Amino acid sequence: MNDRFYTISEFTRLIKATLTGTPELNQVWLKGEITNLTYHSSGHIYFTLKDEGAVISSVFFKYANRSMAFRLEEGMSVFAFGSVGLFEKRGSYQFTVSQVRLEGAGELQKRIEQLKKKLLAEGLFDPARRRRIPFLPRRIGVVTSPTGAALRDIIKVATRRFPNVEILIAPALVQGAGAADSVARGIEELNDPSHGVDVIIAGRGGGSFEDLMPFSEEVVVRAFANSRVPIISAVGHQVDHPLCDDAADAAAPTPSAAAEIAVPVKVDLQERIDYCRARAYSAMLSYVREATLRIDAATSVRVFRTPRDIVETRMALVRERERGMIVALERRVAEKRRRFLSVPDVRRLAAAQVARTEMRLAVASEKLQKLSPLGTLRRGYAVARGADGKIVRSVKMVAVRDRIDVILRDGALTCTVDSISRRVIGGKEEKG
Amino acid sequence: MEKKKKASPALSFEKALEGLEEIARRLEDGELDLDESIAEFEKGVRLARICHEKLDAAEKKIEILQKAEGGRIERRAVDTDEETGELDDDEDIQGTLL
Repeated sequence: MNDRFYTISEFTRLIKATLTGTPELNQVWLKGEITNLTYHSSGHIYFTLKDEGAVISSVFFKYANRSMAFRLEEGMSVFAFGSVGLFEKRGSYQFTVSQVRLEGAGELQKRIEQLKKKLLAEGLFDPARRRRIPFLPRRIGVVTSPTGAALRDIIKVATRRFPNVEILIAPALVQGAGAADSVARGIEELNDPSHGVDVIIAGRGGGSFEDLMPFSEEVVVRAFANSRVPIISAVGHQVDHPLCDDAADAAAPTPSAAAEIAVPVKVDLQERIDYCRARAYSAMLSYVREATLRIDAATSVRVFRTPRDIVETRMALVRERERGMIVALERRVAEKRRRFLSVPDVRRLAAAQVARTEMRLAVASEKLQKLSPLGTLRRGYAVARGADGKIVRSVKMVAVRDRIDVILRDGALTCTVDSISRRVIGGKEEKG
Repeated sequence: MEKKKKASPALSFEKALEGLEEIARRLEDGELDLDESIAEFEKGVRLARICHEKLDAAEKKIEILQKAEGGRIERRAVDTDEETGELDDDEDIQGTLL
């Protein structure tokens, strides 16, 4: 006998490793009939899958069966997805189920295709129905699981982009039984105008084909199509998009991407505003600067400069005169004061001044007497005045037969001109 | 044409921003005379203010819809973790509107 042996545990572990390490035995679909079904109080579900030739015991753990859309029944024909497992204590292998479907993938796909065709015919997917997502939503409505990663991502992305964002969550089941109705109701509720929602994001994170099924159900697709508020589909997927994408106003491949579509980056917008404002400012500034330059250039022309110069030189002159006057005045005042102070007998000076003035007055009066026509008349001269009252200073001013007055010292004679002689006293003929 | 009213609510943010960009462009093009430039400039400054006001109008608020007594649906504020975006009071938000 060979010294080399395994313990039972070692050998069992080896079998287990072989089974779980074989790709063909893991992550596969089995088609079979359910027998020996037990819903255990722990929440786990135990049953046996069988067909005509074989059986395999199966376990559907609580964590995996929680999202089941329906209840399993004895004799039910199902598709089960899972991997092979080994229960060491009993030395038995089993199938560990992660999901169960009533239909095969092909049948499900066919059903979706039919629904798609029907809704397409109704015009639900018409691109013309798509509305623009509002640029700056006041409040975003989110329909998703309140505990899922999708909501977390949406909140994270939205608040990072726009710190004072408002979000209203309509909690919904996003997989399993009742998920489709729950999502549809959430969309309807957020459409209530009292909530003031400007855009809705409805969706969930990525998952298996079945997990995403609710978003391809008719009730959900119709809820998307009927949404009064623009709606973004946010179902995490890689290859096949859910039908709701076609009815939504915008479709995002992940919840985070949906948040990016819904919410602008606040800082970018602020920068855009400030940039425009700065452009307007600097355009205005250069306008003014250029205008100033043009005004300067225009006014430096002589025509414009001259009047200014004229005014300025005049002003300078006036100022100079003003200064001169003030200086002269001050000087005169100073002089007067000096003279006033240097003459002790002001009264005597004043008397002399009066005497001088009287004397001048007498002389002037005498002169005046001589110049007066009365004085002249007294000396024997006469004044002739024409009919028009004017003094006759030339023989040319009168004609023969004119009547003239001859004024003497003590009266007047009214005379008629008999003849006119051009001879002047002293013998000289007057010219003209 | 916009009236001189304060932050006219009828004007959407997008329209205001587009208007502002248009004004900046026209001022830069120098296609306006002085009076027009001044009028446009004043309008631009006003639009910039409106834009900023609209950006700051909201207050960060995360709410969740809950079914209250009598089947009425109510909004309730919830806090979130700044870093992860996780809702803080997990206990209360398990439910759905169903």
